[in-house]
Amino acid sequence: MSLCWRIAREEWRLWLRSRVVIFAALIVAVLIAATSVLTVNRVSAEQSQRVEQQSAAEETFFAQPDRHPHRMVHYGHYAFRPPPPLAVFEPGVDAVTGQSIFLEGHRQNTAMFADTKAAADLGGFAALTPANLYQLLMPLLLIVLGHAMFLRERESGTLAVLLAQGLSGTQLAAGKALALIAVIAIFMLPLVFIAAFSVTLGESAIAAASIVAGYFVYLCIWGALVLAASILLTQRAVSLGALIFVWLFAALIVPRFAIDASSAAIDAPGKIESDLAMLAEQRKLGDGHNAADPAFVLLQKQVLEQYDAETIEELPINWRGVVASYSEAELTDLLNSYAEERMELEASQSNMFNLFGIASPTIAISSASRTLAGTDLATHHRFLREAEQLRFDFVQGLNQAHIDELDYTLDINRNNGEAAGQAARVNAKAWRVLDEFRFEADSAGDRLQRATSSLFILLGWLVIASGVVILAARKVRV
Amino acid sequence: MTAPLEARELSLIREGNTVLDGVSFTVAAGEIFALLGGNGAGKSSTLLTFLGFLEPSGGQVLVNGISVDSDITTVRDAIAYLPEATSLYGHLNAYENLDYFLDLAGKSAGRVAIDAALDRVALPQEARTRRLQSYSKGMRQKTAIALALLRETPILLLDEPTSGLDPVAIDEFHDLVKALAEGGQTVLMVTHDVYGACQVADRVGLLRHGKLVGSFAAENGKRIDTETVHAAFAERETA
Repeated sequence: MSLCWRIAREEWRLWLRSRVVIFAALIVAVLIAATSVLTVNRVSAEQSQRVEQQSAAEETFFAQPDRHPHRMVHYGHYAFRPPPPLAVFEPGVDAVTGQSIFLEGHRQNTAMFADTKAAADLGGFAALTPANLYQLLMPLLLIVLGHAMFLRERESGTLAVLLAQGLSGTQLAAGKALALIAVIAIFMLPLVFIAAFSVTLGESAIAAASIVAGYFVYLCIWGALVLAASILLTQRAVSLGALIFVWLFAALIVPRFAIDASSAAIDAPGKIESDLAMLAEQRKLGDGHNAADPAFVLLQKQVLEQYDAETIEELPINWRGVVASYSEAELTDLLNSYAEERMELEASQSNMFNLFGIASPTIAISSASRTLAGTDLATHHRFLREAEQLRFDFVQGLNQAHIDELDYTLDINRNNGEAAGQAARVNAKAWRVLDEFRFEADSAGDRLQRATSSLFILLGWLVIASGVVILAARKVRV
Repeated sequence: MTAPLEARELSLIREGNTVLDGVSFTVAAGEIFALLGGNGAGKSSTLLTFLGFLEPSGGQVLVNGISVDSDITTVRDAIAYLPEATSLYGHLNAYENLDYFLDLAGKSAGRVAIDAALDRVALPQEARTRRLQSYSKGMRQKTAIALALLRETPILLLDEPTSGLDPVAIDEFHDLVKALAEGGQTVLMVTHDVYGACQVADRVGLLRHGKLVGSFAAENGKRIDTETVHAAFAERETA
């Protein structure tokens, strides 16, 4: 082991005495610092803003005066998804999925307020996140640093002198690997700081540690690939070229292909497409605003029988409220079936994309990173489901107030002058049907479980890449 | 008595080409044996087989009676190797280079011992803390020889050791090698310098196209006759 340390120390001495290497490291340090500061500031601000906005939206809703309950159904409410603490490192899908939804009766609106504005403000720099740097730029720097680790010794003739001292190829490779691991450990420092910062924002230490471990494994995979190329290939230019090609393949080509292949294999219609398809079915359900719609004849019969009444005027409850409630439930079932189908297709696409991690460790780490940070598609889908549940509950709560607290006769005469309109109102206390909504990321355990397959793929990559290094090192020739 | 170095019917084929073809020789303890030959004769390859860097296609190479392929660690522990390119690290100074390579060889030498070795090879004091990238070839060679001295191995393998050195440096080097041999070290050197080989070696072997085609030994306390060897070398090279 002491030999390995000695070899690693000498490798470091060479790097430190080489101005090119220090210059490259400085560039990366500046980039990481810049993106980290920008992302941390932006996400931290978003997090506090959204929590405040959620409270403000609730207060505004509760502060509405006495009104007709159905006006409150359309007045609506907002559900906000604050970015989880680790989004300071990995914003994940948040930038494109939108992080707030306007909730109202009879509709499932699309999430909105993606980060396009922030990107415009920063000239697109917002898209360069710390996670991106770790996934794309760090491997490149490892390639620059390490592509000639062995080749340099071979080309300068020092390999023969080293081996002549009784050193084995495996020992030499282990020393070089240790030097690269030390580089990787230094590369990891900004991430460790960011992860620690996320813990102060409320993140689980397990999730923060897992994301650090995941990226460490990812960079070690690149380190092993770089070392293997340096041992197996015979010229620096060939080694550098081959590694750049592998980087292009793993970091750019395979992910692009994986997206296209997943979309082609699993055709998921967009929100607008499914909305159009849904409209036809929606019409069959009847118009909940029109209690006389033929679609509600059977319901009317059942309700009249239930209350032993001959006409809707004789009912002790508001028939229009009953229709609104019934219609909302039916419509929500339909909306949910479409939404679930769309989310399942998106999840299948995402799962298929993640499988391409077998061909690219960059895909595996990006998937694990999003999942562990709580900025993955599954978390967004849970937000959509929870927001929908919130919507349905408060709309039906208002419909219940419509049924129980508003006289049917006053209701149908509400448009007959100002006084009639004033009479067709319920007390603002009814707005308290709205539940408080605070969206939180999954527990660290759940996120780890979801990230297991990607993490195992990464470990598989590490085992294979290390195996190649060991086999190549055993056969090192001068 | 077991010879420190022995090649038995050594053959080597690389990429379909015969590099060595049935080469046999022994080098006795304290002897300086020079393998002489032109470019591509197989001289360096012969050295590399003793270090286990090249695997023989046939025959055997033995170091202190141990077959190289059976215990490479023991074999390399017994050998100090001076490559043709005097390959040390340019970004390190002489002290740092020697300290590093000695560490790897499992030898510990303090600054005093290192200075003594550098004094012995006459490397100027002021140069010792300069990085080797500013050294002349002769100075690099001296540093590499100092490493060989500090290793204190019983066997020394030298690959074109005087190539690129000025005449004074060559003479100094020859004196040093002779002194080492007189101290009991076994020296196998390969060179295309006929004059140098005859000046320093106890025996000279002529290698041509992978075959050992002649051998000349110093007799009766006289050096090997340069003219005789040169004539044989020139004749065989042009044959």
